[in-house]
Amino acid sequence: MAEQERRDAEAGGDAAAATHTSNMQRVKVYRLADGGKWDDQGTGHVSIEYIEGSKELGLTVLDEEDNETLLVHNITSDDIYRKQEETIISWRDHEAATDLALSFQEAAGCSYIWEHICDIQRNLQFSNLGALEVGHRQASESLEASRIMHSNDDSFRSANGEFRELPPVELSNLPFILKTVLEGGITDQIRVAELITQDRDFFPKLVDMFRMCEDLENLDDLHMIFKLVKGIILLNSPSIFDKIFSDEFILDIIGALEYDPEVPRVQRHRAFLKDHVVFKEAIHIENISVVSKIHQTYRIGYLKDVILPRILDDATLASLNTMIHTNNASVISLLKDDALFIRQLFARMRSSDISMESKRELVLFLHEFCTLSKSLPLVQQLRLFRDLSGEGVFEIISDVLQSHDRKIVSAGTDILILFLNQDPNLLRSYIVQQEGNSLLGLLVKGMVTDFGEEMHCQFLEILRILMDSFTMSGAHRDVIIEIFYERHLDYLVDVIASSCPPRSISRSQSNSVGAGRNAGGHRIKPEILLNVCELLCFCVVHHPYKIKCNFLMNNAIEKILALTRRREKFLVVAAVRFMRTIISRNDEQLIRHVVKFNLLKPIIDVFVENGDKYNMLHSGVLELLEYIRKENIKALVIYVTESFWDQLTKFEHFGSIQAFKLKYQQYLESAEPRLSASVPDVRKKAEQRGLEKEEEDYFNEDSDEEDSGSGRRAKHAQNQHSKAKVPNGSEADNVEGASRPKSAGLVDYDDDDDEDFNPPPKEPARPSEDDVPLNISTVKRRPVNTMDGKHADGDGRKRQKIETRISCAKIAAVTSTASKHTDLQNKHAPESPTSSTSSTEANGALRQHDTNCQEHQHSVENAEASRQAGGDCIKDVGSMSTEKAVNTTNPSDSEPYSVR
Amino acid sequence: MGASDLDRQIEQLKRCEPLTEAEVKALCLKAMEILVEESNVQRVDAPVTICGDIHGQFYDMKELFKVGGDCPKTNYLFLGDFVDRGFYSVETFLLLLALKVRYPDRITLIRGNHESRQITQVYGFYDECLRKYGSVNVWRYCTDIFDYLSLSALIENKIFSVHGGLSPAITTLDQIRVIDRKQEVPHDGAMCDLLWSDPEDAVDGWGLSPRGAGFLFGGNVVSSFNHSNNIDYICRAHQLVMEGYKWMFNNKIVTVWSAPNYCYRCGNVAAILELDENLNKKFCVFDAAPHESRGVPSKRPAPDYFL
Repeated sequence: MAEQERRDAEAGGDAAAATHTSNMQRVKVYRLADGGKWDDQGTGHVSIEYIEGSKELGLTVLDEEDNETLLVHNITSDDIYRKQEETIISWRDHEAATDLALSFQEAAGCSYIWEHICDIQRNLQFSNLGALEVGHRQASESLEASRIMHSNDDSFRSANGEFRELPPVELSNLPFILKTVLEGGITDQIRVAELITQDRDFFPKLVDMFRMCEDLENLDDLHMIFKLVKGIILLNSPSIFDKIFSDEFILDIIGALEYDPEVPRVQRHRAFLKDHVVFKEAIHIENISVVSKIHQTYRIGYLKDVILPRILDDATLASLNTMIHTNNASVISLLKDDALFIRQLFARMRSSDISMESKRELVLFLHEFCTLSKSLPLVQQLRLFRDLSGEGVFEIISDVLQSHDRKIVSAGTDILILFLNQDPNLLRSYIVQQEGNSLLGLLVKGMVTDFGEEMHCQFLEILRILMDSFTMSGAHRDVIIEIFYERHLDYLVDVIASSCPPRSISRSQSNSVGAGRNAGGHRIKPEILLNVCELLCFCVVHHPYKIKCNFLMNNAIEKILALTRRREKFLVVAAVRFMRTIISRNDEQLIRHVVKFNLLKPIIDVFVENGDKYNMLHSGVLELLEYIRKENIKALVIYVTESFWDQLTKFEHFGSIQAFKLKYQQYLESAEPRLSASVPDVRKKAEQRGLEKEEEDYFNEDSDEEDSGSGRRAKHAQNQHSKAKVPNGSEADNVEGASRPKSAGLVDYDDDDDEDFNPPPKEPARPSEDDVPLNISTVKRRPVNTMDGKHADGDGRKRQKIETRISCAKIAAVTSTASKHTDLQNKHAPESPTSSTSSTEANGALRQHDTNCQEHQHSVENAEASRQAGGDCIKDVGSMSTEKAVNTTNPSDSEPYSVR
Repeated sequence: MGASDLDRQIEQLKRCEPLTEAEVKALCLKAMEILVEESNVQRVDAPVTICGDIHGQFYDMKELFKVGGDCPKTNYLFLGDFVDRGFYSVETFLLLLALKVRYPDRITLIRGNHESRQITQVYGFYDECLRKYGSVNVWRYCTDIFDYLSLSALIENKIFSVHGGLSPAITTLDQIRVIDRKQEVPHDGAMCDLLWSDPEDAVDGWGLSPRGAGFLFGGNVVSSFNHSNNIDYICRAHQLVMEGYKWMFNNKIVTVWSAPNYCYRCGNVAAILELDENLNKKFCVFDAAPHESRGVPSKRPAPDYFL
């Protein structure tokens, strides 16, 4: 073989040992000559070795007589090897440009080498043992068996015996040491690691040698030292790590790693670590060992992330991570138990006479401190957070949130999230006890504050965790929700309302001045509005009852839907999504409200305006209609079809619009036979019995509706009866539904009612809380004395209920459906009398309901818990690792994702 | 943010230098405006070059552009899985996003199963953002953008492209129209399946997926889907194929994989599929970027530390 590569000294050393190998490795090398005849190239011993220069594994045959290399062949993934008659392996050799064959003396030797060739090919093809980038260690595992074979041979044991001690660390021994470190099997590697740790002089000498080579700019040897250090790290020995990451050696070790032969330029890691990296001491740390650990942790992290990420195998990476983790835990643990340190920290943070700069440092330190506390065991972590909150950490954060320095505001919110992910009740109880609950106010304010180029989506996340009703936790959260609804919800709704162009201005004009400005004249950025809208969706899902009271009262839904008038399409889409969330509550009252105030109009309008453009708006609205149809929300199907069919008809070529219309027609058909039925007396009686009583009953029934399936069915029945109430355009639209029962009287009645009971859909301005009772008392038919906003709430709701109830009754009367309608049986609740009619009682019911819906968990666990549970195992076919999908929450619930 | 700003950012990203947090935010908002106008089945004109999973292998993606030509000279369709696993998810995704904002009609990005909040928290993108920026805001912006990415593409009405595969809930392309895609990738349902499913020889009809999400589907499913939607074949990614691409079911579906030496150790080659204006196919196979062309991994930690 003319083009055989010359093998270097280290391989030669091993080759000498290999001359004494057993018969198992004895082979004849053949080469296919031009005439199709196999030429004998000589007899020698075969082994699988790293081939110099390529770092790939290959077959090497050394002549048994003169130890000359007979054959060097790189094993590649695309060569095709053949095994014949138990003792022959042949292949087409690209370098030799002909076929080569090895004829083994023993079948066992042949199958042994054959298996290795197959293994290596497999490793080249698949991930796990890829030789190229992962480092030699894994690849050399496949050699382990080969060593064992060697060691079966008595004569090889002597070579193996050299492992019993490492040669002194000298430049001349470097190749041998390198080979020993790189090429051993696992058992050998453990031994090598032991030898290195036992040899006190090993690293001092290595470091000396490195310094010397560096002084001499001896690049070749520096490259070899790089390989050696890399190999030593990949031995993955904890005791070696302790040594090389010690203050004594770490910088030189990192220095040695600057000379990667595969990177053209010499790296400057030490310079970076010495000159650029700053260790900041916000509070002086007395304990020297703590300081040393802190430095060490940073350097290991640097080594792992910057110097060696490509080289580290999974096991070594895991060891380094463990070291970092353990270091962090011990640093945090030592600091937290240092009472003096903690006292000093908090005293300084409270102190008024420190510079902005040191204040900043302190906050950033606190942030890092809290972040790293994740390394502590859970119990200790909880205790630490409890202690910190006892020290007054939340007061400090409150202060920080009012800072003009965005960076520390951001750090402050991050700290809050860390606390919330650990135990939300710490922050909740602080807010509840705090005078004026101002922290909650700051958080709400933070949500709508323009932080310039930065965005603090953390505020959204914090509020969500604080008010998450799906987690198991108690009283404080309810109080917070209470406070939020009482003081902040309206503000957020108004932020949206005041940032959207008034109804008269179409989107095309909304670029002009005035659009998108809130009362203060500040333009609210679209991304902030997006966040507010998302929070409101969250509220709809998590506090269905509270939000319902509020929305029904204040016409908030309409205000939020003003987003459809924004120019930014993603805000329009957000408005659609908000409406979808409302409707997905499947709440009868909300649905009635939607119908009554014609709240789907803005949605349909933007949909129609969007035309045939197939974009997210288009899909969002179609999905909404699809949902209404599939969920059988009869009131909405009828309302949409009758109110908007004129507009929708041009979209009839879409399957979902067609199906929607079909659904409508089915309702009509199924309603027709009932026309002949007689009006049940009971309905009339209910109507006559006086409104007061009925409304209370109805209200009470509401209190457990969310949980009760039958309650929901009753609601559906209600829906179906309120179908006829089509606020506007119904006359015109009614052509199609001529057969549909509907009387002029009913419409008139509705109209009256509207005037009497409901504020005009477009209220000029929402009254402040104090005004609410006043506003209510202006209602002419039912002046009520209410003590506070909540009563007004109840009353407002009641008014609507009565109003709708009346329409229901009317419809029932006109259509005469009731007697046949089985759903009616479910409606006994509103008709049965209850003892109390006072509004305070109603208020009680309201509260009672509130607790109900919080106790009932919608069987959704804490997001965090479900993540830990791991969920479905998702395996990536083709790759060796498994992908683990984390439990996702139901998307339609727009649940928060908490950050781990 | 003007075109010149954007061009500067693209140049910077091409050097594998990440943008600032503020730049990321502005870019994402801009992208949101563009993506919200795209359809769930985004129409794509030929000629176009289709690329499979990238998985944060930035330097290998640069190889891809070397082989396929630069954007905007070449039109591109990326089939998702831009992030996770590789070392440069941030730079990879931001470069693609910046190109999208700069040349909206020249490059189409659709969503893969890794474009998800849950998955990125496990497979690297989350940690990478945290490490490179010191906060997870960039992760938040990016994952918010993921919700806007289109779900599939249709090339000249003839080639249906999707990250994973088909769904039992979808027999016609029009059924994809009614998906409200602005959401985290769900556990199940049509949207989940499109991003998670795999074709499988051994399956007749539909089978359970070992991945725990999506389905396995057989040749008969593909045939009837292609027939009823009048398409020639399906082009998808999602599965590592050692040869870079792989036809199945009698050329009814092709897998394209564009992450060479996946996870820096699988030893596979990668491929992209070039379609000319007459939809003639040419697979370009390419290898991982040579070691020398890679810079030092830019996972440089923050220069200051307290602890």
